[in-house]
Amino acid sequence: MSDEEHHFESKADAGASKTYPQQAGTIRKNGYIVIKNRPCKVVEVSTSKTGKHGHAKCHFVGIDIFTAKKLEDIVPSSHNCDVPHVNRTDYQLIDISEDGFVSLLTENGNTKDDLRLPTDENLLTQIKDGFAEGKDLVVTVMSAMGEEQICALKDIGPK
Amino acid sequence: MQGFSDGGAGADLALLQSTMHTIEVACSSIQMHINPTAAEATILSLSQSPQPYKACQYILENSQVANARFQAAAAIQDAAIREWGFLSIEDRRSLISFCLCFVMQHASLLEGYVQAKVSSVAAQLMKRGWLDFTAAEKEAFFYQVNQAILGAHGVDVQFIGVHFLESLVSEFSPSTSSAMGLPREFHEQCRTSLELNYLKTFYCWARDAALSVTNKIIESDAAIPEVKVCTAALCLMLLILNWEFRHDANSMKAGINVFSAGVRHDNASSKRSECVLVQPGPAWCDALISNGHVGWLLGLYAALRQKFSREGYWLDCPIAVSARKLIVQFCSLTGTIFPSDNGKMQENHLLQLLSGILQWIDPPGAVSKAIEEGKSESEMLDGCRALLSIATVTTPFVFDQLLKSIRPFGTLTLLSTLMCEVVKVLMTNNTDEETWSWEARDILLDTWTILLVPMDGNGGDALLPPEGKHAAANLFSMIVESELKVASASVANDDVDSDYLQASISAMDERLSSYALIARAAVDVTIPLLTGLFSECVAQLHQGRGIMDPTETLEELYSLLLITGHVLADEGDGETPLVPTAIQTHFADIVEAENHPVVILSGSIIRFAEQSMDQEMRVTVFSPRLMEAVIWFLARWSHTYLMPLEEANCHLSHDYEHQRQSIHSRKALLSFFGEHNQGQIVLNIIVHISMMTLMSYPGEKDLQGLTCHHLLHTLVRRKNICHRLVSMDSWRDLANAFTNEKSFFLLSSANQRSLAQTLVLSASGLRNSEASNRYVRGLMVHMTTYLVELSNKNDLKSVSQQPDIIMSVSCLLERLRGAASAAEPRTQRSIYEMGISVMNPVLILLEVYKHESAVVYLLLKFIVDWVDGQISYLEAQETASVIDFCMRLLQLYSSQNIGKISVSLSSTLLSEAKTEKYKDLRALLQLLSSLCSKDLVDFSSDSIEVAGTNISQVVYFGLHIVTPLISLELLKYPKLCHDYFSLLSHILEVYPETLAQLNSEAFAHILGTLDFGLHHQDAEVVNMCLGALRALASYHYREMCAGKTGLGSHAAGQGNLPEGIFSRFLRSLLQLLLFEDYSPDLVGAAADALLPLILCEQGLYQRLGNELIERQANSTLKSRLANALHSLTSSNHLSSTLDRVNYQRFRKNLNSFLIEVRGFLRTM
Repeated sequence: MSDEEHHFESKADAGASKTYPQQAGTIRKNGYIVIKNRPCKVVEVSTSKTGKHGHAKCHFVGIDIFTAKKLEDIVPSSHNCDVPHVNRTDYQLIDISEDGFVSLLTENGNTKDDLRLPTDENLLTQIKDGFAEGKDLVVTVMSAMGEEQICALKDIGPK
Repeated sequence: MQGFSDGGAGADLALLQSTMHTIEVACSSIQMHINPTAAEATILSLSQSPQPYKACQYILENSQVANARFQAAAAIQDAAIREWGFLSIEDRRSLISFCLCFVMQHASLLEGYVQAKVSSVAAQLMKRGWLDFTAAEKEAFFYQVNQAILGAHGVDVQFIGVHFLESLVSEFSPSTSSAMGLPREFHEQCRTSLELNYLKTFYCWARDAALSVTNKIIESDAAIPEVKVCTAALCLMLLILNWEFRHDANSMKAGINVFSAGVRHDNASSKRSECVLVQPGPAWCDALISNGHVGWLLGLYAALRQKFSREGYWLDCPIAVSARKLIVQFCSLTGTIFPSDNGKMQENHLLQLLSGILQWIDPPGAVSKAIEEGKSESEMLDGCRALLSIATVTTPFVFDQLLKSIRPFGTLTLLSTLMCEVVKVLMTNNTDEETWSWEARDILLDTWTILLVPMDGNGGDALLPPEGKHAAANLFSMIVESELKVASASVANDDVDSDYLQASISAMDERLSSYALIARAAVDVTIPLLTGLFSECVAQLHQGRGIMDPTETLEELYSLLLITGHVLADEGDGETPLVPTAIQTHFADIVEAENHPVVILSGSIIRFAEQSMDQEMRVTVFSPRLMEAVIWFLARWSHTYLMPLEEANCHLSHDYEHQRQSIHSRKALLSFFGEHNQGQIVLNIIVHISMMTLMSYPGEKDLQGLTCHHLLHTLVRRKNICHRLVSMDSWRDLANAFTNEKSFFLLSSANQRSLAQTLVLSASGLRNSEASNRYVRGLMVHMTTYLVELSNKNDLKSVSQQPDIIMSVSCLLERLRGAASAAEPRTQRSIYEMGISVMNPVLILLEVYKHESAVVYLLLKFIVDWVDGQISYLEAQETASVIDFCMRLLQLYSSQNIGKISVSLSSTLLSEAKTEKYKDLRALLQLLSSLCSKDLVDFSSDSIEVAGTNISQVVYFGLHIVTPLISLELLKYPKLCHDYFSLLSHILEVYPETLAQLNSEAFAHILGTLDFGLHHQDAEVVNMCLGALRALASYHYREMCAGKTGLGSHAAGQGNLPEGIFSRFLRSLLQLLLFEDYSPDLVGAAADALLPLILCEQGLYQRLGNELIERQANSTLKSRLANALHSLTSSNHLSSTLDRVNYQRFRKNLNSFLIEVRGFLRTM
């Protein structure tokens, strides 16, 4: 073994970037990928060859994490793809306003009021009902490539 | 609808007529699709009403609607099987004889399917009563049948008689019998009784029936009614010869060599093909062999062949098909039916058959030409099948000799020419469709395999006579030619469907192993042939470089590498394969290792592989696909030839003269690639090539997967190779590259894991445990350090979400997991330390990545594998800290996930989220199971109790945390369900006392899932739940007997559950047993659970029993039920203890109880 001390570099200070390049062959199912400039969750990866003795290429099926639209892409395995920087933050839900905006409590005590409730009826009722029942709700807000949306909620209950 | 029942003796005509009318209407409305549900219900109510026999008989005799008659027969069958227990002997008999007489009387008038149904009803009822009827009663039935078969009542009745016996035999044969709700023993007894007392008689009846019409058939020019009888008789004979004979008096492995040298008696060979051996035993000799029976059969078929041009007969007409099938079946005849005369009689028998069959397949060229021109292929395929059958029952030598007495060449030559012909046809019309030549090739290949597969335990290959070798060599060169041609032609179609590809690869693998057997039968010709072809291909590549498209040649090389790999070496299947005996024993005259054909062939392939190291060659020649074949070949080859262990002691075991001569050449071959010769050089080349494929083929997952899982993994499986590896520079380079090189972080996750595992495993090649541990530490320290440093970062929360960081973390976790799963006693220390050092980081990462399900899963899997590998070695103190860590992990996971709802517009993403959750939970259950195992397997020096750790407490606590996450929804995943219930039943069996300590909510949840599991469709899950229930109830009962509280308040019922748990389960278990559908295999386990439940809740049991009795309206049934319930708990000296004997008695009681009452309880 080499005695030379080695540490992995981390690009901690490159944080502002919205996407990162990553080799197509390393992107796995359940990971994220940018297809047609949309952040997607990969639900299917398959590989095939270009011709019998050609090189491998990856076939991705992704689902847009915001609009739930299905998108597909084919990339040679050794090429780079863009991977979105997907962030998720938990906030406590304070209020739901009449005009469809929510009021959230941030970690440092401020409120965040610029987020709309989801438009889909089902999701809306899940959140509204929970809130109406007086549960203590924490919502998870997912953000990527300049968009954000509520992606999960959790009843933390009276502890 | 009770109206269908006879209601006693005086059923009046009007009622019968109206019933018939109702059923007829229902039948025709089903046919015309008018309200089919209602019509089905009407028909069902007929078979479910009590004693509908009169009505059914009336319908059968009077209805003009065939469907109605069919349904009436079905109703008789259902009702009689159900009510059999309380039908009088007279009733039973009259039902059977009604059915029999009915078909015979209406022999010429009935539709075929009604006829078949009624005779199968008769057969089934006959079997149901088989053990009760006296011999005289059976004789009476069979007398009637025999009369019919003798032809006393005309051809139609004769046919019916034969057909009835066919139904009867298939009803008695285990694989085709109907269930009838009886235990397996019943079927077994019937089977034995029929085999010993009737089967041969039936056969003779069938034969006589066929004989009686043979002349008429042969003499007539057109189709006549007798043909139908003859066909049926042939079918019946075939069915009887297909019977799985068990009671062949002396064949029970008695003296394999006693009977003959030439005939095989091993069963191993028969398993390899679908060919069933027919071993009826000596009693059958007179019926099948000594009376010229076979001659008659062959004569019949030969006569039929003459008629194929005439009206009513053709190659595939039923009688010809049945006759051919029977002939093929006769070829499989073997065992003690032949007297011990050195196989003479069997050889004569086979020769007689073969000379009959010969016309079907010989001369091969003419036969295949005729088929290509439109003749039906079925006769030729049957001929191939017959060869397969003959091969199954003979040795290659006897097989080959058979033909010599009538032809100038042996059977092997015929087989070879036949197959060459088939391969030629395959080669000329190469399509993806399955043609006759495919099927013929597969059958013939099976025949070769049967002949050539090593037949004795020592792995000695079958030796062929010289002429046979020549035949094999010819065939092999034909096969290779065709495979290469197919390969180069396949280049054109590259749109391969990957699923189809997978299936065809495994089929191809099987085919290649058969080719290898053929090649090995003539190694001295075939290996030089392969060498020649290989260098030809390589030369072509070099000549054409840059000038022409190499794809066709690449594809040929690909095929050639696969074929060569199979010929030279066997698949290990986890063992270390030896050099195939054929290769070891041939080439006796070669003393110089360099001239050994195998060495030459291997050497030329290795040299070719080495060229891939050259950048330019790689780009122009070594396509990923070709490289895959190279890696595959190297893996297979090195497993057998690289530094073989038996290098030193190859003089063992064989002491034949010619083998002694060949020892020299064997030694030369084995030592050439040995440790002290070329071995190390080749090993070095292999490591270099592996490293190159991992670095220079970015994104080629399949190739890299082969390198990691196949090639490198194969190398570290052998200790002497590990020993070499760890001292080699190239291996050190690989380890360095693995920890530092960026391209290695781009490998797919499974490859990362496998590579880490391989590198850790290679540590076993070091001198001692200290050095091995040092090696592993050196390998892993960078990775653990990175994780520790990362987790200590202040801005971890924001940094951690960056895709590049997520990727490195995932990558490292995969590597840690790979290393953890490679733990061996020798390296256990260092792996343990590795895990301990990242304990805190794991918890921190679990927190920051709580929304990143992929990372969470990796974290959990790493811990699961690590704990699984470590737990049994840990000392008390270490166990305590590991357990403490696991509990923190469980709690953290649970707090993050309980009450969490994912919201997403996409149903795919939602179901993905559910799947992820399922996988997580499954990992957690595995973690708990591993912890549980500490109580069973423990290598530590002191007891874990010393440190105050109680595994049962731990597991219960764990269960407490995990169970709320397991919803009934998630239990629909079969694997999770299985894991959960096996853990649950294990815990309840081993530590029932701790269940009492659970709080009522958790307790209720566990019981809820148990109840769910009881009604699961998977019998194994139900079985585990019953086991759990038994454990719980018997624990409680024992405790109560000892004057303790047992499960205390849980048993008594409390709060929202007014009823105690045992009452609840007693109720639901009885409900299940009496009224619901379940597999009869579960009755034993159910009895084991029911007994302690009854003992715990005797009062309730009495009450439930009384309720059941009260509900019964019919007074006879009432008293039957009361009696049955009484004897369930009192017969067989059942006592109120829970010992083994008592459990067994209760099992018996429950079985007879269910047979007695389930029939009527379920229909009322």
